[in-house]
Amino acid sequence: MPLHQDVLWYKDAIVYQVHVRTFQDSNGDGIGDFPGLEEKLDYLLELGINAIWLMPFFPSPLRDDGYDIADYSTVHSSYGTLEDFRKLLGSAHDRGIRVIIEMVLNHTSDQHPWFQESRSSKDNPRRDWYVWSDTNTRYQGTRIIFLDAETSNWAWDPISTSYYWHRFFSHQPDLNYDNPAVREQMWNVMKFWLEMGVDAFRLDAVPYLVEREGTNCENLLETHEILKELRRQLDEHFPGRMLLAEANQWPADLRPYFGDGDEFHMAFHFPLMPRMFMGLKLEDRKPITEILQQTPEIPPSCQWSLFLRNHDELTLEMVTDEERDYMYDMYAQDKTMRLNLGIRRRLAPLLNNDRRRIELMNGMLMSLPGTPIIYYGDEIGMGDNINLGDRNGVRTPMQWSGEWNGGFSAADPEHLYAPLIQDPVYGYPAVNVLRQKASEHSLLNWMRSIITVRRSTAVFGRGSIEFLYPANHRILAYVRRLGNEAVLVVNNLSGTAQAVELDLRRYKGNILIEMSGQNMFPRVGDQPYLLTMGPYQFYWFRLRRV
Amino acid sequence: MREMIISELIQALHDLARGFAHFLPRLIVMLILAFAGWVIAYVVKVVLRSVLKLIKFDKLSENAGASQLLTRAALPSATELLTRFVFWVAWLGFILLGVSVLGILGLQEQIARFFLFVPRLFVAMFILFLGLLSASFFSRAALLAAVNANVPSPRVLSLAVRSIIIVFVLSIVFEELGLAEQTMLVAFGIAFGALMFGLAIAFGMGGRGLAQRFLEKKFVRGKKEENEDELSPL
Amino acid sequence: METKLAEETFLTDDFLRQLINVGEVDILVGLPTHNNAKTIGSIVHTIQSGILQCFPRERAVIINADGGSRDGSTELVTGASIDDVRPASNLYALRTLHAISTQYASSPASGVALRTILAAAELLRAKACVVLSPESANIEPEWLAKLLHPVRRDGFDLVTPTYRRHKFEGLLITNLLYPMVRALYGVGIREAYTPEFGFSSRLGSHFLAQNAWNDGTGGTGVELRFALAAIAGGYRICQSFLGEKDHIERHAADLVPALRQTVGTLFSALEPDFPVWSTVAGSRPVPTTGADQEVLLEPLRVNRKRLREMFSTGVAELESVFESILSPSTLAELQRIARQGEEEFHYSGELWVKTVYEFAAAYQRSVISRDHIIQALAPIFRGRAFTFLMENRDASAEDVENNIEGLCLEFERLKPYLLQMWKSRE
Repeated sequence: MPLHQDVLWYKDAIVYQVHVRTFQDSNGDGIGDFPGLEEKLDYLLELGINAIWLMPFFPSPLRDDGYDIADYSTVHSSYGTLEDFRKLLGSAHDRGIRVIIEMVLNHTSDQHPWFQESRSSKDNPRRDWYVWSDTNTRYQGTRIIFLDAETSNWAWDPISTSYYWHRFFSHQPDLNYDNPAVREQMWNVMKFWLEMGVDAFRLDAVPYLVEREGTNCENLLETHEILKELRRQLDEHFPGRMLLAEANQWPADLRPYFGDGDEFHMAFHFPLMPRMFMGLKLEDRKPITEILQQTPEIPPSCQWSLFLRNHDELTLEMVTDEERDYMYDMYAQDKTMRLNLGIRRRLAPLLNNDRRRIELMNGMLMSLPGTPIIYYGDEIGMGDNINLGDRNGVRTPMQWSGEWNGGFSAADPEHLYAPLIQDPVYGYPAVNVLRQKASEHSLLNWMRSIITVRRSTAVFGRGSIEFLYPANHRILAYVRRLGNEAVLVVNNLSGTAQAVELDLRRYKGNILIEMSGQNMFPRVGDQPYLLTMGPYQFYWFRLRRV
Repeated sequence: MREMIISELIQALHDLARGFAHFLPRLIVMLILAFAGWVIAYVVKVVLRSVLKLIKFDKLSENAGASQLLTRAALPSATELLTRFVFWVAWLGFILLGVSVLGILGLQEQIARFFLFVPRLFVAMFILFLGLLSASFFSRAALLAAVNANVPSPRVLSLAVRSIIIVFVLSIVFEELGLAEQTMLVAFGIAFGALMFGLAIAFGMGGRGLAQRFLEKKFVRGKKEENEDELSPL
Repeated sequence: METKLAEETFLTDDFLRQLINVGEVDILVGLPTHNNAKTIGSIVHTIQSGILQCFPRERAVIINADGGSRDGSTELVTGASIDDVRPASNLYALRTLHAISTQYASSPASGVALRTILAAAELLRAKACVVLSPESANIEPEWLAKLLHPVRRDGFDLVTPTYRRHKFEGLLITNLLYPMVRALYGVGIREAYTPEFGFSSRLGSHFLAQNAWNDGTGGTGVELRFALAAIAGGYRICQSFLGEKDHIERHAADLVPALRQTVGTLFSALEPDFPVWSTVAGSRPVPTTGADQEVLLEPLRVNRKRLREMFSTGVAELESVFESILSPSTLAELQRIARQGEEEFHYSGELWVKTVYEFAAAYQRSVISRDHIIQALAPIFRGRAFTFLMENRDASAEDVENNIEGLCLEFERLKPYLLQMWKSRE
């Protein structure tokens, strides 16, 4: 049964990003599945999660991680059946956990029946569902996205002896959104899942829906029209559901995707994340404050989505060359860690397994304006395996215990879809859920408590942000406000103890109450408020006027 | 009658003896005082000599130009001179003290006046010494400044400075010693005034150019002439 | 590693607070100012560019020690800071760049300015520091790299500059300071007296701790004392070619203050440094990075006649003073050449060296007031300057260098003479 009570639920969400394949294997075939995930919902509930984002689970030749979809109406057999998914959905909703799934609108796999039909002949009814051309010279000047793999956006199809358009891999032909039948069908696809009870879609590759001659074929007005239409229908038939845009652009270029609150509800804030890592290494808040200063206002019903790491590499596309070199030198001295324009490492290894820095980064994730997304495994500080090639190093099985296969699967280790992490520092005997649950001061328990504090007030998810600019540039300080509530957040980005004087004159007379211990700190007076911070320490203070 | 004369004689002799007995102890005391005074003065002299050597008094007096004067007058060094002077004054003081014990009237008063005079003498000498020192210093300073500023007749200027200071110091010394105070003061006033007046005229007429340049430099900013004839030493 | 506490109690509360906010830095740029609004704006922007170009990843700070400017110099410096408070700046910088200012006194004193900068450097634990002159309007961004890289990368403690100068400029340096420092201390630093130099934290702390601030000289000539302290302390020194030395206004009257700051400082340093220079024999060259210094040869109009005249006048008028300072033979020689006409006039290197050494010895004994001794050197120097000008009138750059080298060797050769005079005093 779907949950509809609060149309702005996504502003209060704590999202957990996970691939079904990696989480829990219930049938012993070495691959995680829906029933397995369902078993672990209580774990997520205890952690404080109230929304999960599932990576693509559709039938697919898996040549692009499942983003090459061959059938929109069911699930991949490795992960279970459609009924299993339905059950998962029900169990999640019972626990008050919403479910976000992927939806790839722009293209399908070339194995999809639609494409098989479309290419079979020029007279096929579905011919026009894809973008065909006799020449490969149309839409000249459009950039190629996967530069390492492709040399052109046109691919030659020998069966129908013509070219088809693909912005991504050549085995992912673009759907033709100028065709109303396509638009209708895609809406039907979405409707199918919405009726089942899915709460939200992460729409992949949205800037590229429509092509027009003489443009760069990205972010076109027609594309926005289509998206607005989808949203309209969503609001009409399924109020309370949410659309999340995946568009790796500068915030200013992303702004149109929010429309006037009539397009996407949420979008990822890509440029912030590398700057958080940069600020930490530089011990200087400047990169962080500057990007947020450049971030435009968004409609009141919209929300940014924040994250520290995800299934992809830590992307360094949205930084200058200088900054990229700096990040490489600081975080990825070993060149094998570098991929495309990013770094393919998990959170804990990036931060050298430094518990204090991990806490600080999560603290910022939870207190900056936006909905936080936690990548599975980062809550226990899982490590990575660079030798697994591509980005698979950050997609190893979840580590539940120190037992057989880390408690992930009963299968033989050789049958696992990917090997477990085994080194003495990050390996499953050392880093696992069971141990951390039992240990009072484990990272897992710390994550639980900070999520609890985050969820105790709506200020973090829905409030405004006002930066304080203390003269000590190592301190990142801001006030989050919502109505009468105000929370002061102070972060020490440096690894050494710092003293900072904050100008809190606007809040004179307020008592500071530190939110995790609930202890009082001195009242704000006329003088600058002096705080001393330990290395990488942060404070959340509720400002209370008695 | 013979008995009367003899008894008078004996009486007179007694008187004499008494007087002598009265006087002799005093004489002895005076001699003791003199001897003690000699010893003490000698000790003071030795101590003073060490002190003066420690503060390099000779060098100071050399700076003051006093040493040159002494050499010319075939006198011993300043330290030597001062210690000897102090020695004699100290011993003389003790001797006079002894003499006062003798109880000879009239002498007491003079001795008292002497003792009153001595401190002022010391002060005057001190002032003189300091005065010579500063005269020497300032005249040399004026000489160097004048030479480096390319002012004509630098030695004249230097001498003028030295003279003024010495005259000034001398008048203070005389005043301190109480010798012809008024005369000295008036004389100084006249001399100083005349000198100043003369200098004013001389400088006023001859130093016009210099004064002009000086004033320009001080009060007219931004008018620094790029004197291409001059090199930067650094 | 022990950190000696600096004498930081003379820093104002406000400055200390600013230093706390800056925190630890890698690079510190010290900039003393006093009413330099005309030049300081562009200089500070050049420094900014230099830091961003050459040290983009380092934590840097610009410390302005101001001696009571009333023309807005300090605001021009602090306006160069780059941070997130004023995002209007169109300069791209990876990190925050602080530019802070403090007034150390109401009138300028280079010693106190340097002391402030050194104290700040020690408190901020700066690894490499550079002091720049607020008058070098022709500074370039690369100067920072030239003065700092030898410290940062190669472990030198002191980096002095060399310049492209006209062969007749800086005669006090080429004819006295350079040869004498080289001969006595054994290190051939060309520009030991310099308002711009780079140094390491080690040397900065050492100099600060020496507590040479209360010796009554008011901290004048501190630029030279810094270099001498580096030599005496056995620190590693190198030179770096910067470029052209900016033209400062020239006045004949500037000679005496220049003498005080250079020669006066050098002479007064000889006594405490006696154990160092008395045992040194010969000299060694200083490693130089960048190009060799260059000599400009274009013809320069100079009033030579005046120099010679002032020399002759000086020798004549100051006889009484020289009698206390010079040996009779030297004085007689000087008087002899003072009587020569312009054509035959020749103040030989040997005589010059003897003169200088006798002055040094007289200074040590304080035969007369020390300041007067320095002043008395001025006309003598002019005579020597005249000879140098005549000798090198048509000389090539190489010839000039050779002549200077010859003078240096003369200084070295006669060093025992100075030692002898020095010891005979005791």
